[in-house]
Amino acid sequence: MTEYLFVGKSVPRTIEADKVTGRAVYIDDLKRPGMLYGKICYSRYAHARIKRIDTSRAEKLPGVRAVLTGRDVPDVRVGFLKDQTVLKRDVVRQFRDEVAAVAAISPEIAAEACDLIEVEYEELPGVFDPFEAMKADAPLVHEVDARGRPLKSNILPLPWKFSAGDVEQGRKAAAFTVKDTVRTTWVNQCCMGTSGCIAEFDVNGNLTLYSQTNVIFGHVGRITEYFNAIGLKGKKIRVVNATVGGSFGTKLDTDIYEFIAIQLALKTRKPVKILFDREEEFRALPPRQPAVFDIEQGCDAEGRLTFRHVTAVLDNGAYTSWGATTPSVMMMPMSSLYRVPNVFFQATCVYTNNIYCQAMRGYGNPQATFAVETSMDTLAEAAGIDPLEFRRINRNRPGDLTPMRLKITSCGLEECIQSVEERLGWKEKRGKRNGRGVGMASLIHVAGGARVTRSDGHGIMIKVNEFGQVDVIESGTDQGQGSPTVISQMVAEALGVRPEDVSLTFGDTGLALWDAGTHASRHTFMAGNAAIRACRKAKQQILEMAVEQIPGIVKGGFKRKKRKDPEFVPPDLDYGLISDPDKLDIRDRMVFPKEAPDHPYFRVPIHFVLRGALHVGTGQSKVVAAEAFYDPPTEMLDRELKGNLSQTYAFGATGVEVAVDEKTGEVTILRMVAAHDVGKAINPTLLLGQIYGAAYTGVGYGLTEEIKVKNGRVMNPTFRDYQMLTAMDVVPVEAVIVEPDDADGPFGAKGVGEPGLVPTAPAIANAIYDAVGVRIRELPITPEKVLAALRDRDRAS
Amino acid sequence: MKKVSVSFTLNGDAVTAEVPVTWNLLKTLRDYFELTGAKEGCGVGECGACTVLVDGEAVNSCLYPVFEVEGKSVTTIEGLAGEDGALHPVQQAFLENNGVQCGFCTSGMIMSAKALLDHTPSPSEEEIREGIAGNFCRCTGYVQIVEAIDMAAKKIKQAG
Amino acid sequence: MIDYDYRKPETLEEVFGLLREYGPDAALIAGGTDVMVKIRNMKKAPPVLVSLRGLTDLRYIRKNGGYHIGGLTTHRMLETSDLVREELTALYEGASRIGSVQVRNVATLAGNICNAAPSADTAGPLLVLDARVVLQGPEGRRTVPVAEFFTGPYKTVRRPDEVVVEVEIPEETAGFGSAYFKHSRRKAMNLPILGVAVSVKLSEGDTVSDARIGLTVAAPTPVRARKAEDFLKGKPLSDDVLAEAGRIAASPECCAPRDSLRCAAWYRREIIEVSVLRMAKLAASRIKSR
Repeated sequence: MTEYLFVGKSVPRTIEADKVTGRAVYIDDLKRPGMLYGKICYSRYAHARIKRIDTSRAEKLPGVRAVLTGRDVPDVRVGFLKDQTVLKRDVVRQFRDEVAAVAAISPEIAAEACDLIEVEYEELPGVFDPFEAMKADAPLVHEVDARGRPLKSNILPLPWKFSAGDVEQGRKAAAFTVKDTVRTTWVNQCCMGTSGCIAEFDVNGNLTLYSQTNVIFGHVGRITEYFNAIGLKGKKIRVVNATVGGSFGTKLDTDIYEFIAIQLALKTRKPVKILFDREEEFRALPPRQPAVFDIEQGCDAEGRLTFRHVTAVLDNGAYTSWGATTPSVMMMPMSSLYRVPNVFFQATCVYTNNIYCQAMRGYGNPQATFAVETSMDTLAEAAGIDPLEFRRINRNRPGDLTPMRLKITSCGLEECIQSVEERLGWKEKRGKRNGRGVGMASLIHVAGGARVTRSDGHGIMIKVNEFGQVDVIESGTDQGQGSPTVISQMVAEALGVRPEDVSLTFGDTGLALWDAGTHASRHTFMAGNAAIRACRKAKQQILEMAVEQIPGIVKGGFKRKKRKDPEFVPPDLDYGLISDPDKLDIRDRMVFPKEAPDHPYFRVPIHFVLRGALHVGTGQSKVVAAEAFYDPPTEMLDRELKGNLSQTYAFGATGVEVAVDEKTGEVTILRMVAAHDVGKAINPTLLLGQIYGAAYTGVGYGLTEEIKVKNGRVMNPTFRDYQMLTAMDVVPVEAVIVEPDDADGPFGAKGVGEPGLVPTAPAIANAIYDAVGVRIRELPITPEKVLAALRDRDRAS
Repeated sequence: MKKVSVSFTLNGDAVTAEVPVTWNLLKTLRDYFELTGAKEGCGVGECGACTVLVDGEAVNSCLYPVFEVEGKSVTTIEGLAGEDGALHPVQQAFLENNGVQCGFCTSGMIMSAKALLDHTPSPSEEEIREGIAGNFCRCTGYVQIVEAIDMAAKKIKQAG
Repeated sequence: MIDYDYRKPETLEEVFGLLREYGPDAALIAGGTDVMVKIRNMKKAPPVLVSLRGLTDLRYIRKNGGYHIGGLTTHRMLETSDLVREELTALYEGASRIGSVQVRNVATLAGNICNAAPSADTAGPLLVLDARVVLQGPEGRRTVPVAEFFTGPYKTVRRPDEVVVEVEIPEETAGFGSAYFKHSRRKAMNLPILGVAVSVKLSEGDTVSDARIGLTVAAPTPVRARKAEDFLKGKPLSDDVLAEAGRIAASPECCAPRDSLRCAAWYRREIIEVSVLRMAKLAASRIKSR
């Protein structure tokens, strides 16, 4: 076992001291000279024709510099299915449709101008339920597709159909079968920093977008495409992130407000900032994708799963963003959570006049796992097997090849389930039905990248200056998870310096190589592997310099000693020890021969070598710079939606003990054990932070959070009415870090950003069932739902 | 719009702000004094990201009319570190125990923690949670924040 | 565009003078946590805000005979007062659960009841503590029982030229134990979905000699569940009796909870029924512990 100096240690976040001193600059704080403030005017109807827009009063307001409507910008479609324009021209299809935009010298004036824009609508019938929207006579949300061809249905043409093995055979082989319908709804990501950006064109028409995105290169790609369509072909784009106030999936697409900021900047020839206020963040930010699942599973008499059949209906809202792609991730738990030989999964996305959705931490996995883990519990009961034992029987194992062709390499699921069993006191607490109970759920998630684009690459560039300080130009972005510290630890370990010697830049396309995006919990894995490779090259350069420099350094030292002490006789040294780079190494800022690590003369500070190599005095001056672009040997999903899209997978199990107040339906979480297979914890304290944060969001998902949408309108757009948890809502979480050491992960590490959230809600639902015998299949599990179910239970008995 | 001239103490310095009368303390701090540590997370006193101390009490500066701060003493996150830049124990503890992730809630959270520790030097876990109940955080789940505040309380007690 | 001017009087006389001078153009602002939010949400403000923050001698908590709480006492002062916590426990519980520490540091008791939200957290406690609201105007002082103070959602009997200078609670209340239950989905930063306040006084043998039940978010104004109170008087403090009292309190005889965004009416009734029992027992235990 290698003794690491920094990897595995809880190095503090000293590198981010700006955040605790109020110095960190978020988009909110960023100002550009001459900057204007943009504000978007939204539709007042869920579905309507725009008959007339009168912007004259807004234009006359002093301080207003531009007013744009759909007629003022090219009618170019954006979005992953190209189903919306930047400003809506003739028809609005949801309440948060952008109908006009204003740029003014202050946010207050911009807001006032928005209120002065008069829009006349002709209301159209709307459809607010995906099942209604699928019916033949439902009003069409879109009449034509991106190419202008007429549409006959609200069902999106997306290929979410997965099939492996023979489900019919599986049904026949099943001794026990269960069917469940589960529902999940919209929840808001609730980043504390709201959405916003600053768009600025230079005199030559090149764009700099100050952003908060997770996907700086994705932005460049999408904006380039937009530019090509609006007559700006060939103009350059630089995306530069400010400090980001949280993302949780909100910043994976190029949002309409960003295109609007670009249009306003184009019009005014000034930098334009658009910043959402909190109400806008609740009303206009695409939230987590809701889904309704019909899930059927069966097992044999020994409890081994024989099949899993799932159909899902997704309320897509009026347009498409990444919400419509969540089925591609849902496929992973559907096909690969637990060993199940025969699988069918089909997801239908349906246009409605509700709000559309994007990614949120877990990206479809929390929704799908709620379905799978509800069904696992009901099936365990049907089979007369303890639910935890049932999971154990069907657990994934190292070396598995799943129906989706995912290659399971390292897998700590067994240990995770074991941890839950022991630490929760499962055997003692289970089955009492006395108002207290335990439940559990597991997870699988990608943890070694995720090939969702043709390249899953991640680049890193490293330079080492003459003082031994390292600059790392990272291609990923930082949302606050701790990447600067974690990556500085890995670089320090790989190169032989200390974390405090490392400076990093993130999120700048002008500097960085390329990265597919900081998503899918891939950052540590990808950046770490890229860093190790780059550091290997940089180290080689330094060691080659050392071979040249050390003899001179040593001899220079002897000369100085001789001058002081004429009696001094230089010792006979074996210069063979340092004659080749392969004979040397670097550790804790010191270069030394491997065969004599404590050599009195050949062990020299790294900066001696670097300075010596730079300040040569001849034409042989050298610097240290290296880059690496790491794209793991994984596969794209094929036509059957199968393929090993990640290099490794994360596993985990969450167990929950709850108390249910049978008079009020209120659920109290007494204890939570969250066991996660993380490969290796590069920084245990930071890793715990990911588990705790994700667990809390999972509890909110399970018990309290929902965006209430009525006829397309968000009814609770404030923190007062949107029930995100506070510090008083105690969830006693015990996090267990399981480290099976992944062979492909940097220092054995796998991703952990999303997994913490995934099994939480179903574990709670399962615990409630154990406590009081009622099963709630719809999130969030509010006291009303529990109490109503308890009343039904009492009536039935 | 009328302008108002308000004189008060800001992070130990006597200052005067000349700002529109309708400004709140948050906007005054951010736009007039360029102290952007306090953030607008909601603008209606529901998230705590704008928390600063007025006469030692934690308040939501987004709801504090600027004309009410006349003669008072305001402390913001920027005024917490020592003259020599030494971090306050709460700031240090947040860095050591991962109490800060994205950092957006952090300025307000630390000011609430400071107010708590000034009033209750050895708070129980429940008292800590109550003291920061008005500060939302989405990243941390509050666990390491509560631990950090406890660590800081113990450090302050040792030093004092 | 939001625009307003402000005045900062230092005495009540100055306040009345300003209210007279500006008439309907003036609005009182104390802690500001309701007024500032309203201005922001409605995007307009009254032309003149008359700030009461300078009236520092209206911040007090005293006991001499009865209890006297100055109108501008903050919820934080109520929360940290031993007297309130021990002897007016329901008020301590109501005040201590409003919003957050940041809100409670500036928000005032008068502000809370003058805003008169059907969900006001101090309303239920004040009802069961038999509080009286002391209003002062240019013509003089008058006292209104809190049960008559609220006339509708966000409406009170306060005239535009009056200030709530004090809330007084009679000496007799000292013989009661009290409790307040705030039902909400999370433990802080919430308006109550339902509030149940109870105070009880016992005579020999654990018989209820007097009881008061205050309900919030169960009617257009905070209300006393008088039929349930009458039922309780003279009866033993048993679970059966309390359960029945709860049923009466939750029934249309005493309240009219609505379906709302936050909660369904049927559930509100359930909570009332359960909480009356629980809060009555808690309140009774507080008498015993004195």
